[in-house]
Amino acid sequence: MSTLNIQKTGTCCRVIGLQGDSHFLSRIIAIGLTPGCEVEILRNRKRQPLILFARDSMIALSRKESENILIKAL
Amino acid sequence: MTETTCCCPVKKETDFRNATGLYIALLGQPNAGKSTFFNYLTGSNQHVGNWPGKTVEKKTGMFVRNGKTYHITDLPGSYSLSANSQEEMVTRDFIASGQADLVCILADASQLERSMFMVADYSGIKCPVILIINMIDVAQKQGKTINGQLLEKRLGIPVVLMSASQKKEYDSFIEALDRPLQSLKTEALFAKYKEALGNTFTGLCELTKNEDCKFFSSEWLAIKLLENDKDIILKKRKQNLPLSIENTIKVGSCKFDWIKELLDGIVTGGTKNSEKMGRFDRIATSHIWGKPLAVLLLVFGLVMSFAITVPWMFFSFKLPRIIFPFIHNWLSGLGSPGWTISLSETLFNACGTSIGMIGFIAGSSLVFGFLEDVGYMARVAYVFDGAMSKIKLQGKSMMAFMMSFGCSMGGSLGARVVDSWGQRVLTMALAWLMPCAGTWAVISVFGTAFFGINTIWILLSMFLCSAIIMLIAAKVFSPKLVGKTAQYGMIMELPPYHAPKWGSLFRLVFSRMGSFAKRAFTFILGVTAVFWFLAFTPDGHIENSLIYKFGTYIEPVTMWVGLRWQTFVAFVCSMMGKEAALGVLSSVFGTVSQVVGRGEVSPDLATQMSSVLTKAEALAFMFAFYFNIPCFVAVLSMKEESHSLKWTLRIMAFYITIALIMSASAYYIGMMIF
Repeated sequence: MSTLNIQKTGTCCRVIGLQGDSHFLSRIIAIGLTPGCEVEILRNRKRQPLILFARDSMIALSRKESENILIKAL
Repeated sequence: MTETTCCCPVKKETDFRNATGLYIALLGQPNAGKSTFFNYLTGSNQHVGNWPGKTVEKKTGMFVRNGKTYHITDLPGSYSLSANSQEEMVTRDFIASGQADLVCILADASQLERSMFMVADYSGIKCPVILIINMIDVAQKQGKTINGQLLEKRLGIPVVLMSASQKKEYDSFIEALDRPLQSLKTEALFAKYKEALGNTFTGLCELTKNEDCKFFSSEWLAIKLLENDKDIILKKRKQNLPLSIENTIKVGSCKFDWIKELLDGIVTGGTKNSEKMGRFDRIATSHIWGKPLAVLLLVFGLVMSFAITVPWMFFSFKLPRIIFPFIHNWLSGLGSPGWTISLSETLFNACGTSIGMIGFIAGSSLVFGFLEDVGYMARVAYVFDGAMSKIKLQGKSMMAFMMSFGCSMGGSLGARVVDSWGQRVLTMALAWLMPCAGTWAVISVFGTAFFGINTIWILLSMFLCSAIIMLIAAKVFSPKLVGKTAQYGMIMELPPYHAPKWGSLFRLVFSRMGSFAKRAFTFILGVTAVFWFLAFTPDGHIENSLIYKFGTYIEPVTMWVGLRWQTFVAFVCSMMGKEAALGVLSSVFGTVSQVVGRGEVSPDLATQMSSVLTKAEALAFMFAFYFNIPCFVAVLSMKEESHSLKWTLRIMAFYITIALIMSASAYYIGMMIF
């Protein structure tokens, strides 16, 4: 088990868990990142928000928020 | 059931429904094409304001088709129906108040799975629904086909597949409106909840049964409780609710599982192997090239909007000077008194300026509307997110700041792309700190007259002060305008690039031009006439004007902040237009006979000024001028874009106060230096 923020650009993974307060959960679920969802990392560089590809959409996610997304590499 | 036991916030705004017809509410996630849809349907029949007591924009409109009247309310865009933001609360309260007969949910055909979340979140609300699957053309280009009829059967509601930017496709939507109103089928989703949560779910449904109200079913309330919804929890005040992160996540998973099963066999095809991030996006979001590219494109946009505008502006600024001599001859031929000639010349010039401004509005709305329309603004938001979040703004605010260097009014227009009302107002407020073209002109003339090449140091210190004031302004205004939303990091979709929708783009340009023209010819001419009256003297001696009497009377006070009556009058007049300050200075220093309306610079202005003002006083004026309200037109467009007189006045008061404080500090520091 690992978190999203440390995944390298180009890796594919599956969301297996979320942590954080209910405000964060509600926002991250509403944009489609729920357990089971497949995610491809399109961009992950220091001090820049991540760009992901999930559920047919490109999603920008701040680094702090991405620490709360638990994943399993595929 | 009485209203007191109901946890739906029913009440208020009953007067909304005073006309007959069908009342429709539009609901959808950001980028689902809600505003295009709304604009196409209502055309110019819209009213934009704020939700009562909320810092959220409210758009309502109406349209008539086949003799029937439809009233439509554009609910604020949000990703879900939880009580996380004011936008979401407004949406829920609106549905609960029973003001809508029908809710139209918009989903994006090209990202159907993700954008169907709104439908899942809505399930359990008893208000009838039509589902509009928008951007069907984009999905077709991706090779996807969507079986609308099957989806209709599964959901139990009318489903319309369309592309909101194609006028002819609205017929199918109108037909759907004529069909009997239907509520969403919820059994499959509720079964999922039962399966995943078991007694926790059914128990909560029992608990909320008594509170089941007209629009929210007990299942919907139970799910919101499991999602830890603040609003509903507060109203329940019950102990021992099974609230946990796990349950919230389970509920979310259920929703997407349901969507997956729902869409099974409905969406077919689609290019799996297409490039997920195009070449342009790789540059546009790059850590090295992203920012320069954005700045370059925004500067290019600014230059383009001037280029479109310049011939028009040139013409409209020149026009009064060509026409006026004839009017002048005609009026003097009639034997009209001198004041009528002076007033009409002033008003003519103001007309010319206003018409020129309309050109700038058109140019900048078109260019920046285009950048927004094709989807590039989301990338600007992405690359500037880090910098802008420090002043509680979105990355998109950068665009308004860039535009403000051309014209502060452009800043207000640029702020349109910021999707939260509060952040938009804060963006406009901070954009006033950017020096516009007029500010540069005055500061350079005035600065070189007193300080020569050293003006550069003054400019640098002004920039430094601007940065500090920006932080202060963000601190002062953000608690009320932005609230807690800014403390959370960015979670945002980067929409795919679209071809621009020229129809709706030009509609936007014309409606902006129209609304500005309406105001320009009332307010601007009115204010110009008032200033003319204050500064008019029959014999050409400024000492006989009201403004002189007022200025000299108040001088003992204004000298506290280092402003002599001449510079104070110029300071006050520059609130009308920054470049007006030069004309005012020329006339109060006795070199030109007329104050307002000319904007001409006297060649002896520099010597005249330096014989009267000390260096410290000059410095005080420069700072007061620089930090003053940009101009009357900027104030007007702030009011126009924010729909809030209260906030416009607050921000004005803030800038006047800051300008006077800066003036005083510059004056006393100046006295120490010089």
